[in-house]
Amino acid sequence: MGVNEAVLDNKCPNCGAVLKFNPQLGKWSCDYCDSVFTLEELQKHNNASSVKNNIKENTEEVDISKNSYHCNNCGAEIIADEQTAATFCVYCGNTAILKSKLSYQFAPSRIIPFKTEKKQAVEAFKKLSKGKPLVPRDFVSEKNIEKIRGIYIPFWLYDVKVEGSLDCDAQKVDSWTVGDTHYTKTSTYKLYRTGSMEFYGVPVDGSTRFANDIMNTLEPFKYEDLTEYNHAYLSGFYAEKYDVDSDTAFEDAKKRSLESAKETMMNDSIGYTSKVITQNTLAPSIIKKEYILLPVWMVNIKYKNEMYLFAMNGQTGEFIGNIPLDKTKAVVYGVIIFVVSALICVLVSYVMFMYGVI
Amino acid sequence: MKKIKKILCLFIVFFMFITVSNASVQTFDRQELENYGVNKKWNINSSNLSNVLNTYKVNASEKIYDYSDILTDEEEKEIYKEIDEFIKKTNIDMVFVSVDLPYQSDKTNEDFAADFYDYNDFGIDFKNYSGILLLRNTYEEDPYFNIYTFGDAQLYFSFNRLENTLDSIYDDFHSGRYYDGIDIFIKKMTSYYNSGIANEMKEYEVNEDGYLYKAYRIPYIPVILISGALTFIVMFILVKKNKMVSTATKATEYLDKSSINYTNKQDNFITSHTSSYVMSSSSGGGGGGGSFHSSGGSSGGGHSSGGGRHG
Repeated sequence: MGVNEAVLDNKCPNCGAVLKFNPQLGKWSCDYCDSVFTLEELQKHNNASSVKNNIKENTEEVDISKNSYHCNNCGAEIIADEQTAATFCVYCGNTAILKSKLSYQFAPSRIIPFKTEKKQAVEAFKKLSKGKPLVPRDFVSEKNIEKIRGIYIPFWLYDVKVEGSLDCDAQKVDSWTVGDTHYTKTSTYKLYRTGSMEFYGVPVDGSTRFANDIMNTLEPFKYEDLTEYNHAYLSGFYAEKYDVDSDTAFEDAKKRSLESAKETMMNDSIGYTSKVITQNTLAPSIIKKEYILLPVWMVNIKYKNEMYLFAMNGQTGEFIGNIPLDKTKAVVYGVIIFVVSALICVLVSYVMFMYGVI
Repeated sequence: MKKIKKILCLFIVFFMFITVSNASVQTFDRQELENYGVNKKWNINSSNLSNVLNTYKVNASEKIYDYSDILTDEEEKEIYKEIDEFIKKTNIDMVFVSVDLPYQSDKTNEDFAADFYDYNDFGIDFKNYSGILLLRNTYEEDPYFNIYTFGDAQLYFSFNRLENTLDSIYDDFHSGRYYDGIDIFIKKMTSYYNSGIANEMKEYEVNEDGYLYKAYRIPYIPVILISGALTFIVMFILVKKNKMVSTATKATEYLDKSSINYTNKQDNFITSHTSSYVMSSSSGGGGGGGSFHSSGGSSGGGHSSGGGRHG
């Protein structure tokens, strides 16, 4: 097991303490000396943000098989698996940005920095059970909340062009009544559509470690906040590198784009009662692809021996996840709802009886 | 002396004949101090006093009041046994009355039957004074018979059941085979009681004055179906609230609408056909029913009856 020395950290130029990215300020702040730095100010010093450390066209051989690193601050060993691109030293808490996992083919072009802080994620998680009566008691406990952590998730972003033809058999049904006679007129049409449309920024989760449906549900991210990638944005957060290559990930973007293109063309012909596709030659092609990092707050919760993953869009603050059902509560609610609705039905039927309706 | 003895004997035989011919019907005087012999809750006032006074006061335990003397003593005993058995089994009183009562309309018979039942102690130990009265009017010009029901008996012995019974005993009553007719009557009544409340009477109840009224019944099946459906919908929504994760199948939100470009867009008409049908006009026609005869007597209590038979 080799030791990779390319571990970057981000220290306060004034006091040498750990310098973290502050989502609220959009800058880097020091918890010890209260110094605040913009990216430009930070880049004047030798740290993770420096130009040298962020050169994109790195031609060096990148070895990602290493899983043992040394903390720049205390020298302790940092163990990180193949996917981990940024972590912390468990001894001193120093940021450990694993440069090799973020260079060359793994170098993200852009990043949406975190816009929400941990305390906002905690508050959002606490509110998760609000308006959901079947959430198990104590599910949203302080113990669970503490486990929330901010992670930059690798995403492939595709600009897709879909072009081709879509032919349909369609029917229009009109009906009218004259006197005692009811008429139904069924008209058959052949619809032809040939053309193209473009989709911009279709995101696909580039990590097998996170369920695609969770990442889908976190959409949409606001791409106007995308900024040029710099290692310094990772300070204070975890980060992953992709393990799903671009071609494989495109399959997902392709399916979604094709489905939407088909739907758009189908819906472009209104007034028909039914439509059946007879020919579909729609095909997608990549206009542009991009590897980016998107901010997500995550927490894994164990309930009755099963793990439940919850995630919050680190930009918009939307928390999602499948909450387990409290079966006892579900039965109680079911019985109460049935009894109450039965009583209402009886009351309504009695009122109807009194007014001679039944 | 012999002549006197002979006259005395003749008088005794005549008296006995008179007594025997009405042996089972004992009548009593109605005294004002005893509320004119009316032990039920009816108010006796100037409007119904004459009816009360004109109504025979009888011993309600006898059950057979054969004023027209159409049954033999033996037959009366047999019928009494059957009636007694019926009453013990059903807690519904049963009375047979034969009378020779001139009348112009069936209402006279009904009034007689209702007053006879109401102003005597029939059904007094049973809920809502429940009982059945079979009346045979032997009025020579137009013999008549009918069944009258009181209290909860109205629920068991519906109009249809009474009509059916009247038809069953018609031949016997018409031919003077009263014992056979009454025997059939009791058996039919027992059978109907065993069948329970008549279907057409299941939505009715009897109030404490003996009148039928349509009662509210919980519509169990619709209530269960509607409540079940509501519960399913609400629970579905509640469960759905816990499931926030879904897989995206479309990319519509990333579509640049301005990029949509058609090089060919045609809607070509191929063919059409028209079908028609004549709508059936629904003919009106109200529901039947309503033949059940329910009315009040001079006592203020309600009762029902069959259609009655002349013959």
